[in-house]
Amino acid sequence: MFPRPSRDIGFPLIGSTVLFVVFVSGALIYQALLGGAAERLVTVMLIDAIVVLGIQIYIGNTGVLSFGHIGFGAIAGYVFAVFAIAPSEKMRRVPDAPFGLAEVDVPTSVALLLAVVLTVVIAFIVGIGLARSGAESGAVAATVITLALLFVTHEVATNWPELTGGERAGLFFKIGSALDSRLPIYIALFGALVLARLFAQSRSGRLAVAAREDNLAARAMGVNPLVQQMVALLMSVAVVSVGASLKVFEDGSLLPGNFFFNYALLTLVMLIVGGRNSVTGALVGVGVMTAGRELARRLGQDGFEIFGIPLDDAPLDWVFRENLQTVFLGLSMLGFMLWRPAGLLDDWELDRWIADRFRRGPDEQPDELGSVDPDPSVRLEAQGIDVTFGGFRALDGAGVTANAGEVVGLIGPNGAGKTTLVNVITGVVSADAGTVTLGGRDLTGAAPYDIARAGLVRTFQNLRLFGALTVRENVEVSAFVAASHRADRPLADVDELISAAGIWEFRDRRARELDYGNSRRLELARAAAMAPWFLLLDEPTSGMSGAESLTMVEQVRQMAGLIGAGVVVIDHDLNFITGICDRIYCLDQGRVIAEGTPDEVQADPLVQAAYLGTASPE
Amino acid sequence: MLSVAGLTTRYGAISALRDADLHVGSGEVVGLIGPNGAGKTTLLNTVAGLLTPSAGSVSFDGEDVTGTSPERLLRSGLALVPEHRRIFVDLSVEENLRIGGVTVSPRVRGDLLDEMAERFPVLGEKWATAAGFLSGGEAQQLAIARALMSKPRLVMMDEPSLGLAPVLVDVVFELIESLRAQGRTMLIVEQNATRMLEVADRAYVLRSGEVVATGTGEELRAQDDLFETFVSGGGGGRSDDQGAEDDR
Amino acid sequence: MTELIQNLIDGLGRGSIYALLALGVAVIFGVMHLLNFAHGEMITVGGYTVYWMMQRDMSWWLAVPAIIIVSVLTSLAIERIAFSRVRGGSDFTLLLTSFGVHFVVFSIFLLYVSASVKTFDRPTWVANTYSVGSLNIEVFDTVVIVVTVLTLIATSLLLQRTMFGLALRAAAEDFEAARLMGVRSDSVIRGAFALSGLLAGIAGVFWLMRAGSTVPSAGIDPMLKGVLAALIGGLGSLRGAVIGGFALGLAEVLLRSRLPDSIANLTEGFVFLLIALLFIFRPQGLVTVAHAERV
Repeated sequence: MFPRPSRDIGFPLIGSTVLFVVFVSGALIYQALLGGAAERLVTVMLIDAIVVLGIQIYIGNTGVLSFGHIGFGAIAGYVFAVFAIAPSEKMRRVPDAPFGLAEVDVPTSVALLLAVVLTVVIAFIVGIGLARSGAESGAVAATVITLALLFVTHEVATNWPELTGGERAGLFFKIGSALDSRLPIYIALFGALVLARLFAQSRSGRLAVAAREDNLAARAMGVNPLVQQMVALLMSVAVVSVGASLKVFEDGSLLPGNFFFNYALLTLVMLIVGGRNSVTGALVGVGVMTAGRELARRLGQDGFEIFGIPLDDAPLDWVFRENLQTVFLGLSMLGFMLWRPAGLLDDWELDRWIADRFRRGPDEQPDELGSVDPDPSVRLEAQGIDVTFGGFRALDGAGVTANAGEVVGLIGPNGAGKTTLVNVITGVVSADAGTVTLGGRDLTGAAPYDIARAGLVRTFQNLRLFGALTVRENVEVSAFVAASHRADRPLADVDELISAAGIWEFRDRRARELDYGNSRRLELARAAAMAPWFLLLDEPTSGMSGAESLTMVEQVRQMAGLIGAGVVVIDHDLNFITGICDRIYCLDQGRVIAEGTPDEVQADPLVQAAYLGTASPE
Repeated sequence: MLSVAGLTTRYGAISALRDADLHVGSGEVVGLIGPNGAGKTTLLNTVAGLLTPSAGSVSFDGEDVTGTSPERLLRSGLALVPEHRRIFVDLSVEENLRIGGVTVSPRVRGDLLDEMAERFPVLGEKWATAAGFLSGGEAQQLAIARALMSKPRLVMMDEPSLGLAPVLVDVVFELIESLRAQGRTMLIVEQNATRMLEVADRAYVLRSGEVVATGTGEELRAQDDLFETFVSGGGGGRSDDQGAEDDR
Repeated sequence: MTELIQNLIDGLGRGSIYALLALGVAVIFGVMHLLNFAHGEMITVGGYTVYWMMQRDMSWWLAVPAIIIVSVLTSLAIERIAFSRVRGGSDFTLLLTSFGVHFVVFSIFLLYVSASVKTFDRPTWVANTYSVGSLNIEVFDTVVIVVTVLTLIATSLLLQRTMFGLALRAAAEDFEAARLMGVRSDSVIRGAFALSGLLAGIAGVFWLMRAGSTVPSAGIDPMLKGVLAALIGGLGSLRGAVIGGFALGLAEVLLRSRLPDSIANLTEGFVFLLIALLFIFRPQGLVTVAHAERV
């Protein structure tokens, strides 16, 4: 069944509860054992956990490195502080605050709400900029922009003393912490955990992760990565805003330096160490790094004690000095990037592990495979396609036509332009001339994800699976998209497709663990889950032996019948092509040189010459 | 000069090349033909040090060079003109040639540059032009000339006629002929089997990663099931189509 | 009008340093696709070197070459210790590794020297000005601009006229093909880091002369400027990096002079706003890298 509530909602809730209980208990035990300053340490750690979880929602699901979240935290922190601090205090510190803010008096909860809302709105605007530049220059540009954001907020905070109290004085609630109980922190932490896991399992989260794994393949499956990344950004900023506000409340004060480079690096190290793709990892990272830092701090002091037992570390004084914590953080970050970039937990999640343990017997493998009749009115027509790469003419007036339910082959020697033609049809490459229509609808020049949603789905010559996702999750990505955009078509069941593709036994294995043949089959199933009018397969048997190719013939035919799709397939293996195609086009030098039934084309001397080459002119 | 024994190379789970044996003697022109994805490029890239084989050995002039880096191999005298040419499009023709000669002394390089300008007049005309503006045929000549700049003893070429119009294919094969007349030792992968067999002393036919036939050019040309071999291959490795789907 | 010219010169003076920093960043990015967030550390190390030397009454004449040498050595050391191990890694890994390096260098200075600001004397001529007509020009700006122009010319010659420069450019375009020509990957990467260190060193000399102090986190500011400028100019283009650096310097100075006094302090903020707008409307940067198309 799809989607699966137990796995996507039930277990994450259970898992989050367990994580929360374990994490908090561990912290409380530590606090009880050490007493004194440990209480503050634990409170700080719990708040850091909220912030790190917020960052994980973005970095983990999109794969984009962001430094800006602490900048967003700064914004949230200041909004919260300015609204939550009592007017009497404000009049002392920032009497000239703009917009009459020094007199404003609102309850703390309202201040928190304002902080979250305002910061999310700003995040939306920044997110648009990220999307635009990221699309052009890649993730590197997005990261630098987030870094710039961090610096801007710091600059503004430092240079706007009327509002922020400036770099030295800052804003104050009162001396000491303004937070009297930990209850809000516990609630926020639990909420952050639940949100992080639910988002990762949600449609948006899964599509974002697919785009993280392979951006092009995701787009070819109808995913618009920019939308999903924006959603992840807004969710994450909301959580970070809550955490930042609580941090300010707990500190009882706010200086620009509190939400700057050091804090950004600290939260990042915690996330990296735990495993950026895992919510559980985020918590583990926070715990490990807090403990490590504390240990480093104590080692750095003279007179080192563990649980009240003094240790003499004089011989190592040259290492164990003040500020050892910072070295520890730096070495942790560098060390993990050099030797274990995936972090301690990689993308392991507690609730998924629990769900696997509690599986109630094997799922039923579907055996009743229905089939869908193709819609005869839908025809794929590509005509007059010209593509020039610089000086090189890759396609010259090429075109292909496929009727509903037909299997059409594209053959030709290396460099003939077959993949380029498919790239044009699926929107990956833009043509200089020519049109592509599907069922009368003009798709020329449309974005790959729009073309996929319109019903043209492709596979890739060089395998492009979502490696970290399981077989099932790979297929579910397409199913999600189809459910939204192709609901007018009968949609095949995910399990049916996996079974029909012959990879049922691997359904819960990660895609990157599959061998080559099964990977190809998975690609096919994933494409089929979009319920397309046409499947465009780019060399599906490349790398397969003769026997495997024959199996693939069956698979393709079966899959196409199951979903009522026509097929356009590029391949070199004429045995495969003749076994499956109704008609064949032969390309050479960017032009169609022959078209007809397999027998006709194979016997065509032009085709033979294209493959073998012509003799030199005598 | 070059000897390959039992060479096996994998791409992840696929064996792109299985147990290949091959040898090229001094002064010979040897062809490597076969359908797309048969493993021809994989073989060349393994010999050239770009790929590491999982089994087998490569020896050059009697010395085992299996797994040696491309930089080191070039200095031993083994040059590769890669598939799709891979000339440096932002560098000028002269600079492309110059970098081809990075391993020889400046004096020799200077002499070679003059030589190339003479032997490849079309390059001489476009000496200062950025290589990206060359036509396909000119680019191929540049790629070959660039490889010659390192004074190689064995030149390997990967699909020199790829993507060229028939007229330009003639030019390329004429070039190969003239190099052969000068006594150059060459190992050439070609899709254009007919032309290759005319020019080669010997050839190997690859299919699905294995050597399935070998003989002199005439012997192979005489076989009438050659087309069958080519189109039924399927392929044991990856095929690299021009304009592959790297996006943008 | 006078003010405008004054601003232009100021802006070019600042922009020169940014251009050098950006170029250093771009050189490494071209070859390794790595954005070196540790680029500023050369200046931190340089700063402490100057401080150490000044404590021993050495003059700036000795300090200048020392800064440059130390910068090159630091750059090479960082490559050897950290970056060589992550070659070919994902962008994410590369970015975080360079941050990790920054963090480690920062914390080492924090640990073994001090968190406090260390000051040293600026050279006496830094504050001097001279007049040209109605203009009051800082000697410092003049020196910076002249030295930068000379450095850029020298770097251009290095890249265009030497085999090393040729190898660097070829490797930046197609690393594997360069190896096939016999270019040794280790040599070219080390060379890039040495060149980057040299550029950072020269920029660092002027940065430190103006700052007159150093602190463990001194590297953050120059790094950010360099990286932003390289991005503004268009990542992947050396020319773009230089243009981006000058553009950034000019923008800073011109904005500051145009903004009303009350918010002049927020100049940095407005500069970033401009940059953000640039990325929204022209994400590829100022200089479009017009590649001759591949055949």
